[in-house]
Amino acid sequence: MNAPAKALDHFVGKASLAAVDRVLRLSSRWRALASFAWEPWLLAAWLLAAWQAIASLLEGRGNSLLPPPAVVLNALWASLPELGWGTLSSFLILAPGFGAAVVLGVTLGLLAGTTPRLGRALFPLAKVAAPVPPTVYIPYAIAVLPTFHLSATLVVFVGAFWPVFQNAAAGALAVEGRHRDNARVLGFGHFEYLRKVVFPASLPHIFSGMAVGLGFAFILLTVAELFGANAGLGRFVQYYADFADYPRMVAGILYTGAITWAAMTLLDRLRHRALFWLR
Amino acid sequence: MTQAGGNALRIDAVAFGYGEAVILEGIDLAVAEGEFLALLGPSGSGKSTLLRLIAGLERPSAGRICAAGRPVAGPGTDRAVVFQNYALFPWMTIADNVAEAVAKAHPDVSRPERRQRARQHLARVGLGEVVHQYPFELSGGMQQRAAIARALALESPFLLMDEPFGALDPINRAKLQDLLIEVWQGSAPRRTVVFVTHDVDEALLLADSIAVLGASPGRIIAEYAVPFGRSRRRATLLAHPVFHNLRESIAEALDADTLAHLEPA
Repeated sequence: MNAPAKALDHFVGKASLAAVDRVLRLSSRWRALASFAWEPWLLAAWLLAAWQAIASLLEGRGNSLLPPPAVVLNALWASLPELGWGTLSSFLILAPGFGAAVVLGVTLGLLAGTTPRLGRALFPLAKVAAPVPPTVYIPYAIAVLPTFHLSATLVVFVGAFWPVFQNAAAGALAVEGRHRDNARVLGFGHFEYLRKVVFPASLPHIFSGMAVGLGFAFILLTVAELFGANAGLGRFVQYYADFADYPRMVAGILYTGAITWAAMTLLDRLRHRALFWLR
Repeated sequence: MTQAGGNALRIDAVAFGYGEAVILEGIDLAVAEGEFLALLGPSGSGKSTLLRLIAGLERPSAGRICAAGRPVAGPGTDRAVVFQNYALFPWMTIADNVAEAVAKAHPDVSRPERRQRARQHLARVGLGEVVHQYPFELSGGMQQRAAIARALALESPFLLMDEPFGALDPINRAKLQDLLIEVWQGSAPRRTVVFVTHDVDEALLLADSIAVLGASPGRIIAEYAVPFGRSRRRATLLAHPVFHNLRESIAEALDADTLAHLEPA
């Protein structure tokens, strides 16, 4: 083969490789597009359109019970400072209540799951006390405790405690025999065993308990605020409902949903991080 | 006959069972200080249970086990155990796993020093490059190396191994067998080893003596001294007539036990 032919061959080879490369990259982009989960966005767009349609049907007949999206968005924007303070107020109840529930629920749950005598004492109590809907404690807590903040915190605590406790105990009971054997062979003491083996091994259970507990905590928080708060997310919705200010009310509902979703997502991220060793 | 004391192991008339089921019966065994004993038997012969009894993870229903002259009353850091299912803690790096054992062997050593020693132990089993990895990032063979490093880090006079290479592929198994003998011979004083296996060749390659267990109930049906010197090589062993005689004799003992169970009672 002479030199020009060689060069041509080389050139063609390169060009066709580049073409293959381009096609491959294009197809991978198509595949990425195809695997994009568009269903939830389609549903969201559909719901928004339905909302708009119903709202415009109801418009012009006095105070609309369903204000159109643009009006709600305006109300949301205008209420953001108030909602921001409300969020702060709510979190001052949620954080200590949920935090105490997690600390105590995990501690007692792991102890009850590893100490048969404590388990025998606590599990029957949990069976009776856990199913009581914690909302029924709200009026009593408000009546008995000196401040609303304290009573709301207590109710959030009670609601979040049982799921965390029960899941932590289940996690401690489910620690694999080989981990237990290893701890014993390594001469771990009881506390060392709890801290280095039972706690990490139970984390998958603990995080499920925390997710359920956090859901309860938000429900109880907002319900408690409907009763007697002077600030907070639930109180925001209740307050504007009293004035029949539906744009602000709907804005408050949407905002509360977004905050709850953000808290849940944060917890899920945390779980993902803590459980990296689970394949 | 070894005297009690030293790092010898003595098992006298040990039995074990759950309720009606008898797992082990009439086990008498003496392992001299620094001896490598293989417990060989089919599945269901209770060889793993016997190892758990020696480890103190289970209590015998009758009889007595003495390690270094002291009766075994529970697990202790004088008896390191390597399990079959590479039981490292999955939430710790392998360095941290080994450091836990270092902390038990040397309670007064500082944390950085523990880490340092853990790294040295891992380097000895060829894992010096991956000390900061988690068990799930490593292959089964590497995990078992780490488990061996952790057992060695306890610096215990006894090393108990429950089919430690049973889940490995043949190449890795051979590598780890060689590694085990190397680290066992390289430490002074030599550890007393009890090694559970169902592989006759593995027992003949590794052990000084072999106790063969029969099934239902588990009991010792034969004992052999392995006459080969140390620094055994697979190729020379396979060419050795004594190796084949022993292998056949053990196989016959196991077959006879299996057949005895097939005969109608």
